[in-house]
Amino acid sequence: MGHLRSVVALVLTGAFVLAACQGQGPTTTNPITQIGEGQPDPNGALTTNLGSEPDTIDPHKASFVGEIAVVMSVFEGLMTLDPKTLRPVPAAAAKEPEISSDQKSWKFTLRDGLKFSDGTPLTARDFERGFMRTCDPRTAGDYAFVLYIVAGCEKWNTMDVRKASASALDAAKKAVGINALDERTIQFDLIEPAAYFGSIAYMWVGMPVKQESLDKGGERWTEPATYIGNGPFRLTSWKHNESMVFERNDGYWRGAPKLKKWTRQMLNEGAVAFAAYRNNELDVLGVAAEDLRSVESDNELKGQMQDVPGSCTYYIGFNATRPPMDDPNVRLAFARSFDRDQYVKEIQKIGAAANGGFIPPGIPGYDKDDAAQRFDPAAAKASLAKSKYASAPELRNVKFTYASNARTKTRVEWLQQQWKQNLGLEVVPDPVDSTAYTQLVKKLETTPLMFILGWCADFPDQQNWLTTVFHSTTTVAKTGWKNEKYDALVRQADRESDKARRDALYQEASRMLSAEAPAAWLYYVTGKILIKPWVKGVTTTALDSILSQFRLWEVYVTKHS
Amino acid sequence: MLTYVARRLLLLIPTLFFVALITFGLAHAAPGSPFDKNPDRPLPQATIERLERLYGVDRPVPEQFALYLGNLLRFDLGSSLVKDRSVADIIGSQFPVSAQLGLQALFLALAVALPLGVISALRQNTAVDYGSMALATVGTTIPSFVIAIFAIYVFAVNLKLIPIVGWGTPKHMILPTLILSLGAMAFLTRITRASMLEAIRQDYVRTARGKGLSEQMVIVGHALKNAMIPVATIIGPATAGLITGSFIIETLFSVPGLGREFVVSIVRRDYPVIMGVYLLYAFLIAVANLTVDILYGVLDPRIRVR
Repeated sequence: MGHLRSVVALVLTGAFVLAACQGQGPTTTNPITQIGEGQPDPNGALTTNLGSEPDTIDPHKASFVGEIAVVMSVFEGLMTLDPKTLRPVPAAAAKEPEISSDQKSWKFTLRDGLKFSDGTPLTARDFERGFMRTCDPRTAGDYAFVLYIVAGCEKWNTMDVRKASASALDAAKKAVGINALDERTIQFDLIEPAAYFGSIAYMWVGMPVKQESLDKGGERWTEPATYIGNGPFRLTSWKHNESMVFERNDGYWRGAPKLKKWTRQMLNEGAVAFAAYRNNELDVLGVAAEDLRSVESDNELKGQMQDVPGSCTYYIGFNATRPPMDDPNVRLAFARSFDRDQYVKEIQKIGAAANGGFIPPGIPGYDKDDAAQRFDPAAAKASLAKSKYASAPELRNVKFTYASNARTKTRVEWLQQQWKQNLGLEVVPDPVDSTAYTQLVKKLETTPLMFILGWCADFPDQQNWLTTVFHSTTTVAKTGWKNEKYDALVRQADRESDKARRDALYQEASRMLSAEAPAAWLYYVTGKILIKPWVKGVTTTALDSILSQFRLWEVYVTKHS
Repeated sequence: MLTYVARRLLLLIPTLFFVALITFGLAHAAPGSPFDKNPDRPLPQATIERLERLYGVDRPVPEQFALYLGNLLRFDLGSSLVKDRSVADIIGSQFPVSAQLGLQALFLALAVALPLGVISALRQNTAVDYGSMALATVGTTIPSFVIAIFAIYVFAVNLKLIPIVGWGTPKHMILPTLILSLGAMAFLTRITRASMLEAIRQDYVRTARGKGLSEQMVIVGHALKNAMIPVATIIGPATAGLITGSFIIETLFSVPGLGREFVVSIVRRDYPVIMGVYLLYAFLIAVANLTVDILYGVLDPRIRVR
């Protein structure tokens, strides 16, 4: 889960997006389109960087940004997201889904005449096969959990394929509520009403796949010969650890994309990628914090830089079951006693201060007026004085555990300084090996008193933030915080079909979360990217990393030397 | 001679077995799981346990090792736990790249180091000697990543002479070959110089001169041949080291080689890849050492292999 790996894996939009989505409750993002005077070059070729080689480009296994970017260029789901609102709109589906009155049955009808890029017809059975593959325990994809809302998927997916009998596996498979009713219709039966299912139908987990590809390619079906999709591009070459080449799919139902060829290089060293961009060997590049000064001191580069929002929030988690963090007053005191604006300016360099709630700008549910954790040393001290640990020894030398690396060390030391200065408390940095760190935060018994984690949108909906991360049954980060009222609120919102009521319920829950502070919001990930002046027609949203998901068929390059 | 080679090759089997045993044990002893992909956002423990069950990583380590050996005997190296590729496929497509780059670097290093070392020894304490030793010192002490970044900046960004991205053409290979060879080149120059200095002071060299041989004959026929023994000793492991790929060079020059794959597999706890690459390395080093041992006999008839 969580398809963001590093701060550089980012999104393309304009600086004004942050200002544009300061609205209450659900927010919209204005996509920026680089509009140019130049005409598209009919033989236009674009080169971008994918970072390190994807582990897999199997749509039903993909989980990282680069993996999803490849899937989204070659495949297209039943739905896609409107870049303006991030709400699902039909893509391979001909129209909005038909939803039953109990909200538990969703029926999608495909467009007429859809084809795979090899010219063979695309039917609802290919979609059924794709969704089913995600639920299949033998596929073992990281993202199977998003389909657990579909009846029978969780049961089948969590079976032990070594121990379960073939007939038991088969019965579980048959019970899954994913069914192609005919060549053009596919129906999903859900375990409970889920207004966000339209967004899930946009995800890589539901990409159609040809039986022939799986049969012919076997384990290696993701090589170009059998990696056949229905999206704007075709994968025509994959030199492992080197590059992937995509060419336009002339039979794409929206019309042939404007780019002829798109090469994705695999440079995983930031300094080298930066040099390659300066050498015109890359057309687009995410700017790393350490290169920011070089870019700003160069007028040409500076003119090519754009601000982009992200879909992630980093936070300081507290173990709410252990003293002194079992007292909300203590947690809130920590949350209110560091200056987020200064943090972003001095430490993060690229990012936005998390002065609102948990959900970042650009994602539905962003709440800029949530002031519960806003920096206020006086209020923080008052909160601390109210706590039962006001002058107790538990407050001395609280350990702050983090995955040991230079960047996080700087973050933690800065925070340590802030708490000392604004709260008069000494926090002890506790670096541990990153693999060990991952193990620690998984079980409540080992969750440190304080730790740092990030969360990124899987799909644009509050459910993916408020329920997935902080409902007491979460499998994400174990803060041990449990609030029955919060649990009830988010579960009610999950099932609510009226959009306004749903948003209001989530907002109430979100504010409760900030005030109870099982975690202190640290910063929202944003980015800066460099883009050559000849690259046009780029549309991006908070969910999209650099040219990775939406409206890729509109991207073009003008003639340039 | 043939029986010697056969015996050494047979000895490879227990060697590889112990390499496999130790590597397997150490790899599994390191904490963490191949399915822990993202430190910022860990997968739920239940998911990881399910994946471990599916891939058999939850079985007791001795049982896993036995299974691994069984597959190995059938030449099945297994599949990567984190990538959709088989280990044979990874090695088959990535190793030739590293091997080619490594051999180029080795030949370049030898082509420069041997003449330079010999000349330095013959012209000891002259400007030539000081110059080559200064170069050798620089080559040994400056880390390759510093030289690499500097070279990319000068030759690619400023002078625009060579491309940064891509692999396969001579233009792409010049810098990585040169920089990869620097370390070996510097070391070999020093060794050649030192053993040549020792050789030219030996009695047999004086004898050779005494019986009236030409200076060229003395140096090439007598001194150099003996001076090559220490050089041959280190060329074995050096070759193995070069052709197995350098993580740094491969990362900085985006070379699709095995060195990078290997380091990443360790970090990711991708056991089958770690094992496959380690066994390949062990095999290469053993073969390199055997070759050197045979070479000794050629260089010095007093050394007889039995």
